[in-house]
Amino acid sequence: MPVMDFHELEPAAAEIIARYDRTSAAMMPLLSLVQEQVGYIPPQGEQWVSDRLGIPVAHVREVVSFYTMYRTKPIGRHHIQVCTNLPCVLRGAERVVADFKERLGIDVGQTTPDGRFTLSSVECLCACEIAPMCQVNDRYAGPLDRAAVDRLLEECR
Amino acid sequence: MPGIPPLNMPTLTIDGQSVAVPGGTTIIQAADQLGITIPRYCYHPGLTVAGNCRICLVEVEKAPKLQIACYAPVAEGMVVHTDSERTLQARQEVLEFLLINHPLDCPVCDQAGECELQNYYMDHGLYDARFREQKVKKRKAVPLGPTVMLDQERCILCSRCVRFTDEISKTGEFGIFNRGDRAEVDVYPGTILDNKYSGNVVDICPVGALTDRDFRFKARVWYLSSSPSVCPGCSRGCNIDIHYVLDRPYLANGARVMRLKPRYNPEVNQWWMCDEGRYGYKAIDEARLVQPVSRRDGVTHPLTWDLSMAELVQLVQEAQARNQLSQWGVIPSPHLTNEELFLIRRVLQERLGITCDGRVPEQAGYADEFLITADKSPNRRGMQALDLAGPGDGAKPLVERALAGELRVLYVFGHDLVALYGMAMAQQVAQQVFLIYQGSNENGTSRLAHLVLPGTVYAEKDGTFTNCQGRVQRIVKAFEPLKGSRADGEILLELARRLGDPLPCAPSAEIFSAIGETVPAFRGLRYETLGPYGAPLVTEAVPT
Amino acid sequence: MAFEPVLSRRFGNAEGTWYDAYVADGGYAAAKRVLTSMTPAQVTEAVTASNLRGLGGAGFPTGKKWSFIPKDSPKPRYLVVNADEGEPGTFKDRYLLERDPHAVIEGMLIAAYAIGSHKAYVYVRGEYVEPYRRFTRAVEEARRHGWVGRQVQGAWDWDIVIHRGAGAYICGEETALLTSLEGGKGFPRLKPPFPAISGLFGCPTIVNNVETLACLPPIIQRGAEWFAGLGTARQGGTRLFSLCGHVARPGVYEAPAGVTLRQLIETHAGGIRDGRQLKAVIPGGISAKILTAQEIDVAMDFDSLLAAGTMAGSAGVIVMDETTCIVKALWTAAKFFAHESCGQCSPCREGTGWVFKILQRILRGEGHPRDLDVLLSVAGNMEGKTICVFADAAAWPVQSYISKFRGEFDHHIREGRCDLAGNPAVEHADAHH
Repeated sequence: MPVMDFHELEPAAAEIIARYDRTSAAMMPLLSLVQEQVGYIPPQGEQWVSDRLGIPVAHVREVVSFYTMYRTKPIGRHHIQVCTNLPCVLRGAERVVADFKERLGIDVGQTTPDGRFTLSSVECLCACEIAPMCQVNDRYAGPLDRAAVDRLLEECR
Repeated sequence: MPGIPPLNMPTLTIDGQSVAVPGGTTIIQAADQLGITIPRYCYHPGLTVAGNCRICLVEVEKAPKLQIACYAPVAEGMVVHTDSERTLQARQEVLEFLLINHPLDCPVCDQAGECELQNYYMDHGLYDARFREQKVKKRKAVPLGPTVMLDQERCILCSRCVRFTDEISKTGEFGIFNRGDRAEVDVYPGTILDNKYSGNVVDICPVGALTDRDFRFKARVWYLSSSPSVCPGCSRGCNIDIHYVLDRPYLANGARVMRLKPRYNPEVNQWWMCDEGRYGYKAIDEARLVQPVSRRDGVTHPLTWDLSMAELVQLVQEAQARNQLSQWGVIPSPHLTNEELFLIRRVLQERLGITCDGRVPEQAGYADEFLITADKSPNRRGMQALDLAGPGDGAKPLVERALAGELRVLYVFGHDLVALYGMAMAQQVAQQVFLIYQGSNENGTSRLAHLVLPGTVYAEKDGTFTNCQGRVQRIVKAFEPLKGSRADGEILLELARRLGDPLPCAPSAEIFSAIGETVPAFRGLRYETLGPYGAPLVTEAVPT
Repeated sequence: MAFEPVLSRRFGNAEGTWYDAYVADGGYAAAKRVLTSMTPAQVTEAVTASNLRGLGGAGFPTGKKWSFIPKDSPKPRYLVVNADEGEPGTFKDRYLLERDPHAVIEGMLIAAYAIGSHKAYVYVRGEYVEPYRRFTRAVEEARRHGWVGRQVQGAWDWDIVIHRGAGAYICGEETALLTSLEGGKGFPRLKPPFPAISGLFGCPTIVNNVETLACLPPIIQRGAEWFAGLGTARQGGTRLFSLCGHVARPGVYEAPAGVTLRQLIETHAGGIRDGRQLKAVIPGGISAKILTAQEIDVAMDFDSLLAAGTMAGSAGVIVMDETTCIVKALWTAAKFFAHESCGQCSPCREGTGWVFKILQRILRGEGHPRDLDVLLSVAGNMEGKTICVFADAAAWPVQSYISKFRGEFDHHIREGRCDLAGNPAVEHADAHH
């Protein structure tokens, strides 16, 4: 069953491609465009990018699989990405992970059954001054003591 | 000469040996020229440089870091050490990294015996393993298509296969997904690897990650013998090696040939061959004709060779007596060697005066802009150069004359009239004429013919083919004809002998030299002068 | 200490300094001077004389880097801004993008003019959403006010394309950034050729860090000599130091290039939190070799830190107090390197995974006495063999943590546990790799 008609994205795609001096450079923004529309990058999306740029679909998949922010499956409405790199670990990141796991009842890499939250562990987000911290969708949040974790979850509807 | 700038030809020293090479040559290429083989995985002369395996790191004097030989260009006065302590140490360290996640599959891996991890480990490794962690697990025994099997754990991520499908077959199936030690080679899910050149990725994979499904578990490679030859699948004449086993009949159901591999020829096929050619060796051992037969009134009688030759001689002598050889026709095959075709010309056309015409309806098959040609025979150019492809536009091809009742005997070499003209017409021909079939494999014609003479396949003969470019290339006899079959040339020579008109020459080398003395296009060509890559026909100057 | 901020003068406004306020503070005057009264060669000379060094981490003299652009190439030149900040412990580029984007834009314009580029690409790491939004807004403002587009100050045509990354630390390596920008995986390239000769789309390219570019307007406005005088003999100017970890006041602190590590920790960042004792410091991002509490009187410029056996890198200062398990710290670093290795070349791909697995096993209490020798050997074998220096960067923490804190490693292996166990700041939770 088709996820969407990717030809609807043609005006946006044309504008993106026009920015670059080589068509291939539109690869990443087109993949981001697909992900913004669908919530993840389905095979039909990869095929659309492949056709649009004239690049073998295997190479599109290479790019999708290389970068951590590209998803090939849907995730929860609120993606909680906890930094577990050294500066955050020094300030208690592992306790933050444990807090989220406990509050949400899921493990790292999983989504709550109601589709509200996905919990991930990520590397340095370069916000070490507010460690321990996380990124929820587009937003950085920290320092995360226990109360801050609760507040964050409350605010995410 | 004054005014011409000197060529850019730097001289460098590798392991004490000096060589001058064109500017832009890499260290690994210069070393190869000197016969010094620097280990390599990702480097392949037919593909772009990736520089990722790092096994070719060598010490270059005055450079602080070791350099990868596949990428570093030579410079005047450069001094390279491919076997210094520092180089050997680095090589061993890289080898260790490549082996830590490599599965212990040697006992079940087809690559064993021709595996570059094994080979370089024996030459440069031989250390005590110290990796004690869990190896990364990936997918094993994944069929990518009809011809290639993937084992991701064995893969060392050299990316040769990716570069091959990007640059050579230009079909783009392969990619390396994920990153770090989770990186894995694969095709896009749902893609089937079945382009016309898929088998080549098995050749270039240095390890057992990509293996041939046709060859899977068939034989250990150290049992294989090798003979150089030329693929007869089309007129490109890709150079090949025939890999065969004679003394282990329990392998591959007694077949002798296990597989074909392309052989490097920069003028014809570089390092490659197509799948159809690669997997088309089954005819060497399957459905072979192994017994002469005579067929009268629908009844088939097996014959000895002596009796079948006697019958043929009797036919000829009767026709000679009645002056009826003009009502004979011979259809030579473009699958025969130049030497065999020359004997047809000598014995049948010149000595007996029989019309020889190799023209049959063109069966143009698939062709591409790379190696595959539409002409699916290996020696049509040879047949044409030997004037056996018909006397011109005037004469009707022999089959039509046979149908019109103008022929008494039709002597067909290798063609299948059923495939060319359809069963009905082929049967009509068999009713109108005495049909002699000489060929290596069963086909519709061999089942209709009144006299069947089992010939040999290309692997069983010495000879030459002339490819579509007019390049004459040698094929070397790998093994004796299958019991019951006889070399086509020998059949003709025996016919001449029994007719009291023996020809002096026998070995194919001498026949080839005789061609060189007789036929202008082959002037001056001899086996000794063909070289490893063959030699072109002498083209006549076109009169203006 | 009468220190006058140069790069961080407008950081006080957390909502960002926008066009009018930027201009009111003297913004775009340097660009105007460059475009109306200086030649590109004069700009490069000034930058060279300022002793400005690349502040992304490599410390290569910026003027010298610009001079590698071939004078006679017919191909277009590109300026590429490395806003793929990813070095753990570093967040100063984020501050610039969020709080002072016009300073970056003005620096870009000066650089583009100097190298002859009419098109600049800004590669912003994908996770930096707010910085991307703010920087985009600033570019729109600059465009509206005639600082981006055709005939800027009647002298220069140029445009800016903002390109977002998608999560890969290695794209901070300049050739990996270019390969990523061109639409591929972030694979570093074989060098030579260097980007100045053949970079983006095979054309002459200069890749500069965000902070490096932000230094250009002050250099032009107040002079190369002034800028050079702020720093050391071979590194001019100030630097934005990112202080994090166990300091009382984590944050971005600007100081002259020659400031000492002790001054940064004690004076700027308020010393160690909760009155604890300093144990160790990483002075320049996670790749930098670790320093003990006795080694913090070192100056923070590139050359001094190199002489001290470590590196200035991205100036990300990660401070660790006595509650830190160094073994755990190395495990965390190893997890990072294994996760971020691009996987292209064998010593790095396999080595980073191997190092991490050994440390996993040690932290699980299953270490063996031979493990430390193996770790040091593997790390040493990764150095100097790879396409880029990621493998070397992955090796340095292994070498320096074990060398300077061997006792802790020995203890873990011998006892199967940490002697700091039970301290709430340190938990050996299962790794999720």
